[in-house]
Amino acid sequence: MNNEAQLEQALQNIQKLTDNIETVIKGKRNQIQFILTALLAKGHILMEDNPGTGKTVMAKTLAQSISSSNNDGSLFKRIQFTPDLLPMDLIGSHIFDDVKKEFVFKKGPLFCNVLLADEINRASPKVQSALLECMAENQITIGETTYPLHKLFFTIATQNPVEMEGTYPLPAAQLDRFYLKIYFGYVDEATELDIYKNYLGIQNSLENIQQVLSIDDILLLQNEAANVFIHDEIVTAVRNIVHATRNNTDIVLGASTRSGITFLKCLKAFALVNGRTFVTEDDLQTITMPVLDHRLIYKNKEAKQKALASILNAEMERLSKLNIHK
Amino acid sequence: MNIERKFSVKKVIAQLLLLIVPTAAIAFYLLKDANEYYNILQNKWLWQGLAFSAGAVISVWFFGYKFRFLTTTAVLLILLTIIYKILNRIVVGEFETIFLSLNYKIFASLFFIGWITGYGLSRSKYFTIFLSLFLLALQIILVSKIAEVKADAIIAAFAPVIVFAFYIIYTAELIRNMNDEEVNFSWFISKRLIGFGLLITLLLVSIFSLFKKDFTAIEKEWGSTSAKYDENSSRKGMMQENKDGTMQNRDQTELTGNLNRGGKRLVFVAKLDNYFDDGITPNPLYFTSCYYTKFDTAIQAFEIDTLMPYNDLFKPDPSQIPLYFKKEDNKVVENTKATLRRKVVTAEVYKTLLSPSEYIAPSTAFFCQPIPVEDAFKQQYRSAYRAKMNVSELNSAYFVYNPAGDFQLEAFQEERFNELRNITDYTGEDKKFMDYYTFMPSNDEYKRIKELALDITKDAVTPVDKIIAIRDYFLSKDEFGEPKYVYSDNPGIPGIPSASKLNYFLFENRKGYCAYYAGATLFMMRALGIPSRVAAGFLTVDRSSKNPGWYWFYEDQAHAWVQAYFPGYGWIDFDTTVPDLNARESPQPDETPPLNMTTAYFVGNGKVVSIDTIKKRMQMLVSDMLYHDKQFATKSPQTVLMDVSIASVTRDSGKAALSEVEKGMDIVAVSYAEALKKIPPDSLDTYETVLNKIPKPVPIDEVKIMEAKQQDKKENKTEAESKFDWLDLMWTILGIITAFLLFIFSLPSLIWFVLHNRAKANKPLNQKAFAIHTAVMYYLNQLGYSRENLNPQAFAAIIDKEFNTNHFGFANIYQKIKYSNQQLFNSEIETVNNFYSPFIKSVQNKIPVKKRFAAFLNIYRTIHFFSTTKTKHT
Repeated sequence: MNNEAQLEQALQNIQKLTDNIETVIKGKRNQIQFILTALLAKGHILMEDNPGTGKTVMAKTLAQSISSSNNDGSLFKRIQFTPDLLPMDLIGSHIFDDVKKEFVFKKGPLFCNVLLADEINRASPKVQSALLECMAENQITIGETTYPLHKLFFTIATQNPVEMEGTYPLPAAQLDRFYLKIYFGYVDEATELDIYKNYLGIQNSLENIQQVLSIDDILLLQNEAANVFIHDEIVTAVRNIVHATRNNTDIVLGASTRSGITFLKCLKAFALVNGRTFVTEDDLQTITMPVLDHRLIYKNKEAKQKALASILNAEMERLSKLNIHK
Repeated sequence: MNIERKFSVKKVIAQLLLLIVPTAAIAFYLLKDANEYYNILQNKWLWQGLAFSAGAVISVWFFGYKFRFLTTTAVLLILLTIIYKILNRIVVGEFETIFLSLNYKIFASLFFIGWITGYGLSRSKYFTIFLSLFLLALQIILVSKIAEVKADAIIAAFAPVIVFAFYIIYTAELIRNMNDEEVNFSWFISKRLIGFGLLITLLLVSIFSLFKKDFTAIEKEWGSTSAKYDENSSRKGMMQENKDGTMQNRDQTELTGNLNRGGKRLVFVAKLDNYFDDGITPNPLYFTSCYYTKFDTAIQAFEIDTLMPYNDLFKPDPSQIPLYFKKEDNKVVENTKATLRRKVVTAEVYKTLLSPSEYIAPSTAFFCQPIPVEDAFKQQYRSAYRAKMNVSELNSAYFVYNPAGDFQLEAFQEERFNELRNITDYTGEDKKFMDYYTFMPSNDEYKRIKELALDITKDAVTPVDKIIAIRDYFLSKDEFGEPKYVYSDNPGIPGIPSASKLNYFLFENRKGYCAYYAGATLFMMRALGIPSRVAAGFLTVDRSSKNPGWYWFYEDQAHAWVQAYFPGYGWIDFDTTVPDLNARESPQPDETPPLNMTTAYFVGNGKVVSIDTIKKRMQMLVSDMLYHDKQFATKSPQTVLMDVSIASVTRDSGKAALSEVEKGMDIVAVSYAEALKKIPPDSLDTYETVLNKIPKPVPIDEVKIMEAKQQDKKENKTEAESKFDWLDLMWTILGIITAFLLFIFSLPSLIWFVLHNRAKANKPLNQKAFAIHTAVMYYLNQLGYSRENLNPQAFAAIIDKEFNTNHFGFANIYQKIKYSNQQLFNSEIETVNNFYSPFIKSVQNKIPVKKRFAAFLNIYRTIHFFSTTKTKHT
């Protein structure tokens, strides 16, 4: 009974959060869902797109929708990555305290709940790896001391399309840390017109974002997501897809087992974001590309467009014809 | 992204190997057949097949680049036409022009057909069905041309085309559906093709085992004769070259081979009661088998026409007439339109190699009565019949050549010519008759013959003088004293195939055998307005002085000659073939003729009711009876006890044993018993009284088994097979094809019927949801709404938008049933239960019946639904 009430509460919370974000970010329901999926799966998200498409606003809105119990203002941090950025600019550094006559640790911007790492591929590999370690371990080690990050630590990274100049492309191993990679994209024409007409209103609502959920609520949601039921056939399908990526001759580097686990986590979270406590074919079809695409290294550009899609289609075909097993 | 897909080498190669190669093979096969039956193709099937294949290959490669069909094909057509015009301009000389342009036309059209085929196979979805039907139609036309139809010939003709039809429909769809991105697609295809091969082998084996019974029945019917001598085939060889002289090499060599190899074998022996006025000198007559009357302009050849006006050909099947029973056709005599100098003559024909069903007699036969062969001759002569014909007294085998020295024959010949000179023209004859028998094509080639005919007959006035002039022309000598025309079995192959071989014979080679002379004469006579036709049959030579009136017919006597029509006198034989200087003499007949002395007093025709081979007693249901040559028929046949202890049993294939007579067989029982001679019938006797009068058991001397009907007893089906074997087989094959097509077209509906009923049936919710899901997906797919790569919800949303249904709701619940561990709410169960019927109804409302019907004929969509997109799992 208690479980059901919790679930009911969780679904309401997700709805609240989504609605809240949507007051500011128009016409981006899919992207919001993906971001929430990454959030609930205890992962991080990478958004790739041109500047000015609303990535930062999105991150900010999400951060401000969450209220913190101690309210120390460390909820949302934004780092603009540049080539001359150093790791200590992120994690913080020891500063000599004249009064105490000792080095004290000055926390960097990583000690936050929601981090927006803007244009992550502009920073040097050194900085990138410093960030990515934190994302994986959820802690920072400096010298002998290990500082845990906040319980809720969610990174929204953005990057410019790799073709643009002055970038350090993220290595495959590091891309792996991002649960999802999505393309933000421009809004459709109607929505864009709507935005232009109401830009003042949007500005206003951006400044007055309501804090609809607490950090504890989010942590609860994350627990809830882990409990989503996943059918054996879906697990098999995930196995098949991951396996197929390794054997496809158009794919040079296939997905790892860790990717498969991430895949399952994302499936569960995505199901919950969609208000369900079980994973369906739709979830599988929707989430496969954002989860797997950036982890694979393709033979060529054409393969990038087709290989994963054909693997996914075959698997979907199998599932859709599957009889009901109970 | 570029919408146009790039040229896929893999796909094109797959199409070439898997579609075009088999298609080319079948084209070669059909062309080879067609070349045998159509002279116009000139036996160049190899090159023609290559032209077709070239067209198909180029087309597939070309259209692999996604060119547009109409414009490119128009360009091709224009190109072909331009080349044609240029060819016509470059080439000079009459024959070359015709030869080249004809050849060019054939090759160009084959290339073009290949082009269309290539396009259809690579781009069009429904072309394979059209191609299969087209090939089947072609094959049916070709099969109708087969002269000797046998079961294996039909199977050999149809089996490849049917296999091909199955194959091409299946494979084309396979290649269309395949994902050329896949690397191991060759494995994907070969796996399927192996499966297909197994399936088709199974199918063919079952078909052939099904036909085996009929097949052996036919073989039995033909086998007994084919091993020995088939008069049909020889005649075909004889006459085929006679059609218009444009004979084929094949026929020629076949005939030549025939003449060289055989020649010595006896075909039949005949006794002909035809004597000159003195009553002692035998007057032999040519034995006619059939007439070639009609000129077919399409194939440039003369052919047998069963619809010829005033048909005077009597063609019964002696093997189907019971012994001593008669078959007459008096219409034949009427149709000869002859009233002057006619008499009825009797002939008896004893067959050795001649087929039992063949009837051959001097012209204007109207009567046939099978007779038994004397016991002493039964080994040699398998069957015999008596024929009567209304012959002209002016007719004689001696007519053409100067019977030098024989005063009587010379006198007769002169008398006959004089009598025929009374006929000066053909005014007053039936116009239809005249038009038909003087028809002649008006090509340049035939004009040349006409000029020759006019030239050599310029001094002759009456038709008969003209014919004599033609004869003399062939017999005349040139300036060196050598004969102008020579008889030759092997006249050589003309250098210019397109020029009429007859022209070549008349004007250049001047060597030929009977068919050349007959053909040339026929054209000359028709050119002169003399109604004429070619008769085929046997040349009669009187070599026996021992047995006047008996004639022996050997294989090399198969012959062709001309008949001319004279009003009042009817058709008269004329033979213009020059004597063969190197003639190989057939052996002189020194055998004893199979004399037939006995008189049959009792002849019964009917079925065996019972037979006891130990007691030699037989019960027979006599349906027709001859008693002292008088026929008695009845409506209520009686069973008659017979004594068969001394009876000799025969069938058409020769002597047989009494043990071969079985219950239910159709037989003829004959008695020569003296006992019956003493009991003649009187005028008041009926069937019943005669049977009461004669002693029981009736002593039987002769039992003849009627072959065809005997088979009928054994198996009901076999009778039709042996009689109309090829027609019936063709219908069966057509039936199978139709059934196959019906099956193909109804398959989608059948599957829908099953799925629909499953969806409506009451079952546990899980199963019901699945059944509904499958039925809905199938229904939508068949109507053209395939899910393709959309996810279920997106697809459902599209469908809902289109048809205003609740598919979205159902799809969600279906997913929940399938993948969740939760119980359904009552409302959800309700949704599942109430979803199906309204959904189908609203879809039906949106799509008109006609469109739905058409959609459900589309087997390709069904294949698409059940085929899976292949990725590689290794």
